[in-house]
Amino acid sequence: MECFKIEERFSEYLDRSLPSEAMAQVAEHLHECSACSALLEEMRSVMVACKAYPALEPDVALIEKILLRTSGRPRTRSFRELFQQYFLHPILTPRFAVGAALVVLFLIFSRNLLLPHFTSFEALLSPKEWVRQMDRGVQQIYSEGLKAYDTKNEWQARITFFKNNVFNKLGFFMEQLDVPVEGKQKPQEQKAPQREPKGTSERSSSLQTPVAQGLKSVLLKGVQS
Amino acid sequence: MLAGDEKLVERCLQGDDAAWESIVTSYTRRLYNLSYRYTNRRDEAEDLTQEIFIKIYQNLKSFRSEAGSFQSWILKVGRNLIIDHYRQSRRYQQVGGSEELETMNVKDDKALNPHRAVEQLDAARFLMEGLQAIAPELKEAVILRDLEGMAYLEMADLLGIPEGTVKSRINRGRLELSKLLTRRRAQMRVQI
Repeated sequence: MECFKIEERFSEYLDRSLPSEAMAQVAEHLHECSACSALLEEMRSVMVACKAYPALEPDVALIEKILLRTSGRPRTRSFRELFQQYFLHPILTPRFAVGAALVVLFLIFSRNLLLPHFTSFEALLSPKEWVRQMDRGVQQIYSEGLKAYDTKNEWQARITFFKNNVFNKLGFFMEQLDVPVEGKQKPQEQKAPQREPKGTSERSSSLQTPVAQGLKSVLLKGVQS
Repeated sequence: MLAGDEKLVERCLQGDDAAWESIVTSYTRRLYNLSYRYTNRRDEAEDLTQEIFIKIYQNLKSFRSEAGSFQSWILKVGRNLIIDHYRQSRRYQQVGGSEELETMNVKDDKALNPHRAVEQLDAARFLMEGLQAIAPELKEAVILRDLEGMAYLEMADLLGIPEGTVKSRINRGRLELSKLLTRRRAQMRVQI
């Protein structure tokens, strides 16, 4: 049988809708003719490709457009569609996921830091227990505040004591510096006390240099403050 | 035929908008896919789908259940409109829209794997380009039979031709498409 006559039967051969005698003839020809055999294989693959051709989903707005152009009435949506449109789609975004994760972390930290732990699940559900725990939480926060205030006062007292102690010691040291040393005064300086007022003669005699005078004034200011 | 279609049509004729909405929801996907396979363009397929439903809405009174199922009637109206569109626009054989396939919503569970999805899209594009190149009546026969999965009798009713002619067109369409795709594959191998 010629090739073009066999080709006419390819579809029916693939569908197995040919009579058995014709099926045998086609099979025999295919066994002998490589070109027809290759063509049949190609046809088979085309049919498979057609069956696997993806079904396309139209745009969601298409139904809306059709309804508006025909009945003029907008589409009524089921609860599921509304739920998906207004709840699922907005929350299924990376931004929402990050925000939700931060909120959860904040709540966990807040609970662990501020609130005492519940001992049981029933206690978690009881409003009375909630109020009690909240009251305990507030008291805890208040006591922590008092402790912090006491600590601050204690440190302030320590610093004041340290400061006063240091300046007192420096003042004493300066007084020690002011005591004149016998036998070391120069002859011309022995006349000077006669011209100066009383009470300052002895100290000024030992603080003649500008550096010493500046140091003394700074220390005196510190002691006074 | 879908159960209750006739009742839905009756309710539509009585002014029940919900029944009309039900019909539109049920058949939009089918008509959209049919239009897309004829035109191979998304925008044209959407426009055609809308035009088909407008035509159906206007001619709902002319539907007779004795003459055939509502689905067959809808497909007939759709097919006639698509053919009219082809005659007017003369873009029937233009190759295009294959890039649109990638951006469209393809509903197929097997396509969840990205590699498989790409392969599937490539095969679909190759097939579509081949389909655009064969004679329109053969292309129509292949689309209705292999892509839409219609029966011979249904096709004969839709196209208004004998069943034998339907079978002949399907076979010729498949043959032409197979030869064309074989040639194109050979050319691609040579280019590579």
